[in-house]
Amino acid sequence: MTLPLVERDVAELTQREQPWQTVVWNDPVNLMSYVTHVFREYFGFSKARAERLMLAVHHEGHAVVAEGPREQMELHVQAMHDYGLWATVRRGEQ
Amino acid sequence: MTERIVVLELARLEAAHLTDLVEQFAELLADSTVADPAVARLVPDAYRDDAEAAAEFRSVTQGDLLERRVADTRTVRDTLLVDGARLAVTAIDESSATDVLTLPLDEGQAAAWLRTLAALRLVLAARLGITEDDDHDDGDPRFGVYDWLGFRLDGLLRALDD
Repeated sequence: MTLPLVERDVAELTQREQPWQTVVWNDPVNLMSYVTHVFREYFGFSKARAERLMLAVHHEGHAVVAEGPREQMELHVQAMHDYGLWATVRRGEQ
Repeated sequence: MTERIVVLELARLEAAHLTDLVEQFAELLADSTVADPAVARLVPDAYRDDAEAAAEFRSVTQGDLLERRVADTRTVRDTLLVDGARLAVTAIDESSATDVLTLPLDEGQAAAWLRTLAALRLVLAARLGITEDDDHDDGDPRFGVYDWLGFRLDGLLRALDD
């Protein structure tokens, strides 16, 4: 057992625990019913989960709707833009 | 042809106004530039604190996103044709204005309607300067159009949910 090996394992683990995120932001235009519809249709969320996320966007100003590799988050964000929702990619918080 | 999933009912006058709006939207997209805030809202920054990454993302996605909007406007416009003819607001008289048109939509058409109604509201909101939930001028008829689009969008979502 050598110290460098341990360090690398820790580094990899940390990287894996910090995925990227898809964040949807509140806007005054998109209807709550439409945002819920988009979350259900695109992510396949249940009605309850989609509504919970929609309310989080509405009341807290934004919500993380997906986490994972950056490329995948960028695809989600493009899909959200396609629906007219305002979404961004960001590095996951520690 | 895919199966219809919903039947929309619209007054003839509404359908004519919507035809007009959708055509204006198509024109806006045809000479689209992100310098126009209404177009910029359709291709927003994908990175909040990284202008370079946002610009790169936009350069990759903007073409596809705006092309899809154009295709959606064509789909919506085609579903609004009556006996193959375009409804013109000026050709509608008092007696025919409230005639109800029934528009059967298949899944793809319904999706194009939803995206287009939502996008028309975003474009109008940019023109009207709506930045807060309570921004509303009851005296400005354009807000009436904005609200009407929302009413129709909500109604279509309910119909699809049934």
